[in-house]
Amino acid sequence: MKVGFIGLGVMGRPMALHLQRAGHELFVWARRPQSAAGLPATLCATPAELGRYCEVVFTIITSSADVEGVALGKDGLSEGMVPGSVLIDCSTIAPDAARRIAAKLGEKGIHMLDAPVSGGGQGAIDASLAIMAGGDAAVLERVRPLLDCLGQRIVHVGPNGAGQVAKACNQMIMVAAIQASAEAMRLAAASGVDCGKVRQALAGGSAASRVLEVMGERMVRRDFSAGIEARLHHKDFGLVLAAARQSGVPVPLAAVVNQQLNALMAQGWGRDDTSSLLRVLELL
Amino acid sequence: MKIGFIGLGIMGRPMALNLIKGGHEVTVWARRAESMQPLLTAGARAAVSPSDAAQGNELVISMVADAPDVAEVMRGVAAGAAPGLVAVDMSTIAPGAARLIGEELAAAGVDFIDAPVSGGEVGAIAGTLSIMAGGTEAGFAKAQPAFACMGKNIIHVGDSGAGQVAKAANQIMTGMGVLAVAEALAFASKNGVDGGKVREALLGGFAYSRILENHGQRMLDRNFKPGFKSWMHEKDLNIVMQTAHELGLCLPGSAATAQMFNAMVGSGYGEEDSIAVLKLLEKLSGQA
Repeated sequence: MKVGFIGLGVMGRPMALHLQRAGHELFVWARRPQSAAGLPATLCATPAELGRYCEVVFTIITSSADVEGVALGKDGLSEGMVPGSVLIDCSTIAPDAARRIAAKLGEKGIHMLDAPVSGGGQGAIDASLAIMAGGDAAVLERVRPLLDCLGQRIVHVGPNGAGQVAKACNQMIMVAAIQASAEAMRLAAASGVDCGKVRQALAGGSAASRVLEVMGERMVRRDFSAGIEARLHHKDFGLVLAAARQSGVPVPLAAVVNQQLNALMAQGWGRDDTSSLLRVLELL
Repeated sequence: MKIGFIGLGIMGRPMALNLIKGGHEVTVWARRAESMQPLLTAGARAAVSPSDAAQGNELVISMVADAPDVAEVMRGVAAGAAPGLVAVDMSTIAPGAARLIGEELAAAGVDFIDAPVSGGEVGAIAGTLSIMAGGTEAGFAKAQPAFACMGKNIIHVGDSGAGQVAKAANQIMTGMGVLAVAEALAFASKNGVDGGKVREALLGGFAYSRILENHGQRMLDRNFKPGFKSWMHEKDLNIVMQTAHELGLCLPGSAATAQMFNAMVGSGYGEEDSIAVLKLLEKLSGQA
């Protein structure tokens, strides 16, 4: 199948490669063409041109505005993609932005799935991403073989936007768990106890979690170089709080975690790993 | 002075009336024509659009709901502006939005002043609002005679956006203040102590505040009529939290408070006064 891919960053690049290795013909567009260097793919001049060639197009880029621009803007995908083709947006954006873009594409007969992913750069490389999809179930079934190249757990959550709601929930739980791990590591260290040993002990019990395992380890080793850049979690928390506000649902813990992320950004650690929340605690 | 006035809601109407009382020649415009009627009776002229409200005037004032509304009416104002027009927005919007509108108007040759107010409907009627202004010295000076009709404590805080920064700071203080008074009274009540007596005792000490005095009394009276509607306070706290997010500023107290206001709107207390936060506390602690 002819597959388009836009967004060749830490996540996008390995994902695009998996699709190509599975035998699909890959077309890419990149704002900075050098980020497509070395990829076995046809480089297109605009998203519209890419859209003309492809039955299915993936995007994984930063913000709601970026996705809106690439999909609906001048020389955007909607100017090239034909009726019946499918846009799979794997970016993390606002649920209402996802709904809006899907509705606009729908007017032209173009299908869209919001399909944000969880699992980080390693999950992208290992093709073990969790994929949470929103949109028409029949469309998801059509493209499921492609998603199978990228992840192991593909869940149809509901209509357009539902995937992004699930991702917001994912981020709330995950970053709150990072904060909880950081507080535990800090308490252990401040009590004169080896926090590596504490982490090891906890890993066997009820407090065991992937976050404690992966991020806790980084905290113990004080290796704050990015796994996941904290600025992305900070951005996601903006979406979480906005969604909570729209629904009139209080999220007291997420609100506090967001303030810790604000402090992290103020320290200039946005491009470091989110385990840097430990360093924020150490400031106080 | 010849003044255009846009937006005639709970706040805008008495503010415009005070300008007429102050001897200014006022042209009004509002989205709903019927809200102009009381002003026309008082001697104002009706405009057919924001652009018309600017035409031939030295000063235009807007008092509307949110940043997109301000941007929209100000675009109209710029289209109808005579050279030297000063445009004043007294709505509460994000500082960043105010700065952008200021830049847009400056490019059209209009001097823009952000001048949000504090003091509520009571202050608007009495002409005793606090007015916090951001923008040029010259623009502020030109608007001063109009400000003097509407307010008492009139401060030029700084450059464009500075008025909205002061207003956001005001909403941090009042939001947390209302929550603090509600928590203190809930604490007294759960301990079986008379909240009225506690309030009276505290009024003499360092915990004295105008909020303890006014809002505290209304909590004791269980008078939840607005005042200042909690959905509007929630909107203002959202401006605070979004600005903090953009700046990388850690505001844990404001964040917790904003979530309580979020819950108020979600619980259907949005149209009540912000002191309804007391009911939320009571619900959470099984005191309802």
